[in-house]
Amino acid sequence: MAASQENESDMDFSDNDCYDYNNYYNDDDSDVEHVDPMKVDPEYFEYRCLSEEEVERLLNESVESLSNCLRISPTLAKVLLHGHHWNSNEVIRKYKDNPSQTIIWAKINPPSPQSIMTSNYYTCPVCVTPQHVEKFSHLPCGHKFCKDCWITHFEVQINQGISTSISCMAKDCVVLVPESFVLMHLQHKTNIREKYQHFVFQDYVKSHPELRFCPGPNCPIIVHSREIKAKKSICEQCKTAFCFRCGCDYHAPTDCQVIKKWLIKCADDSETANYISAHTKDCPKCHICIEKNGGCNHMQCYNCKHDFCWMCLGDWKSHGSEYYECSRYRENPNIAHESVHAQAREALTKYLHYYERWENHSKSLKLEEQTLEKLRDRINEKVMSGLGTWIDWQYLFASANLLAKCRYTLQYTYPFAYYMDAGPRKELFEYQQAQLEAEIENLSWKIERAETTDRGDLENQMDIAEKRRTTLLKDFLDV
Amino acid sequence: MAVLPRRIIKETQRLMQEPVPGISAVPDDSNARYFHVIVTGPEDSPFEGGLFKLELFLPEDYPMSAPKVRFITKIYHPNIDRLGRICLDILKDKWSPALQIRTVLLSIQALLSAPNPDDPLANDVAELWKVNEIEAIRNAKEWTRRYAMDN
Ligand SMILES: [Zn+2]
Ligand SMILES: [Zn+2]
Ligand SMILES: [Zn+2]
Ligand SMILES: [Zn+2]
Repeated sequence: MAASQENESDMDFSDNDCYDYNNYYNDDDSDVEHVDPMKVDPEYFEYRCLSEEEVERLLNESVESLSNCLRISPTLAKVLLHGHHWNSNEVIRKYKDNPSQTIIWAKINPPSPQSIMTSNYYTCPVCVTPQHVEKFSHLPCGHKFCKDCWITHFEVQINQGISTSISCMAKDCVVLVPESFVLMHLQHKTNIREKYQHFVFQDYVKSHPELRFCPGPNCPIIVHSREIKAKKSICEQCKTAFCFRCGCDYHAPTDCQVIKKWLIKCADDSETANYISAHTKDCPKCHICIEKNGGCNHMQCYNCKHDFCWMCLGDWKSHGSEYYECSRYRENPNIAHESVHAQAREALTKYLHYYERWENHSKSLKLEEQTLEKLRDRINEKVMSGLGTWIDWQYLFASANLLAKCRYTLQYTYPFAYYMDAGPRKELFEYQQAQLEAEIENLSWKIERAETTDRGDLENQMDIAEKRRTTLLKDFLDV
Repeated sequence: MAVLPRRIIKETQRLMQEPVPGISAVPDDSNARYFHVIVTGPEDSPFEGGLFKLELFLPEDYPMSAPKVRFITKIYHPNIDRLGRICLDILKDKWSPALQIRTVLLSIQALLSAPNPDDPLANDVAELWKVNEIEAIRNAKEWTRRYAMDN
């Protein structure tokens, strides 16, 4: 923190000395040639997994530096930061522009000053008990209440989970109770004080756009990133992967709002969509019933050996070609002239097209996990019976992991496409989606037959699939 | 039963000595936190001439928490539902420990004079109140006559 040291001697308010030019992540970059990592990897994301203590330190540093910069109390600095989503620069700008209004706006001071009565005895308006003035306390608004009433007020609020938004007890008074005021009154009430501090911390983290609680069950980790984007973060402790921006399952290339809309739609329409969840279909050639037990959508009928696609039941030979039409939904160009009933049917058909593929890839991901388990067992046997070493077989695990990563992205391309407006951009997207789809099925097919697949061939396929995935994300991931 | 807080005793005394015009609130013989309330329908409102029974209960943490109030008499009003529950900000997030039973009852009386269909609790009533106020007022008068008179 060399910058803040220099400023201590000359504390004038020139605009340059206290703005938050934090070089947190870029400290050692000076002698490295600058390459934008985003150009190489569209999912590149810098973040850190922090403990509660580390986050507390981080928040305290912001509070301290703001309080030094504006020469205000840490209490005031904290309330101002919390009220401005921890954006120091915004607080500094507003405060320098109009300090008193900023403090009123942050609900620290009342809009109009109160006259404070100065008698020795006073009746508390809440418990209607006359007491010596020493037993009273008040916020900047001047509304006096006895300390016992303040304590009860805090207890009731805290037990409802309220912390940073506790306000003065007076009618229509908007002044907020700062942390220090609450802690002062609760100094002998350990349990409720700890509860309060816990809720306050939750509020601070939730209001801080650079911080996100790990959504993993009972995980205390908080992810910190300067880049507030819908990027993938993986918790170091519990390994949960999630979108940094919304805290839900990672969803590239779809954005946070769209995936939310899609998941709500799927939950609402689950009844309609249920019929497609069947695990069996008939072979389009010999009509024998086939059960799907792997993740690969390239099916081969065990009876007649016909190769077909599980999704559209089309001949597999045409799938491998230039334009894999299976992923694409063909809209009816005359739909605007059809009856309301026909339009509703068309809307449902369209939704089901995307939903089926979304759901199918989700199932494939699970089935491929089982394939990986079986693979692990087989490799274990091989190694134990002297057929190569663990290292020799590592590439197979690498390929299975890559397959999962690619299929995951592919699954999330369907909600993206569903909400896309028709036009050349959607055509390009669906073209790339089809390409990715085809290469993923090739990879899945090869992994299911891993022991008989040539290693070079498999590694080549991995390379192609990942390239398709990155290309699609480079062109369409916009976070 | 726990000893009654000074605050409740004081409020009860004042309600008895200086009652609010048009409102009577009497504590129950066996429970001093439970009040039998009767609100007179305000003049020039569709509730005029009616006597509306309510129950008011002071929870354990009163006055840190708001009193619980409910209409017992059926009433046709956009901010009061079929179970008699009342949509009033000071009974929820706008509650302040400095408010009193008296202020709550005055607010309820004011709500009868000025229904607010934009903040509804009874949706069908609020809807009619907005699209056809004349008919809604006719219903309210009819309900007042049927449920809030002669008993
Ligand atoms: Zn106040
Ligand atoms: Zn008091
Ligand atoms: Zn975690
Ligand atoms: Zn997100």
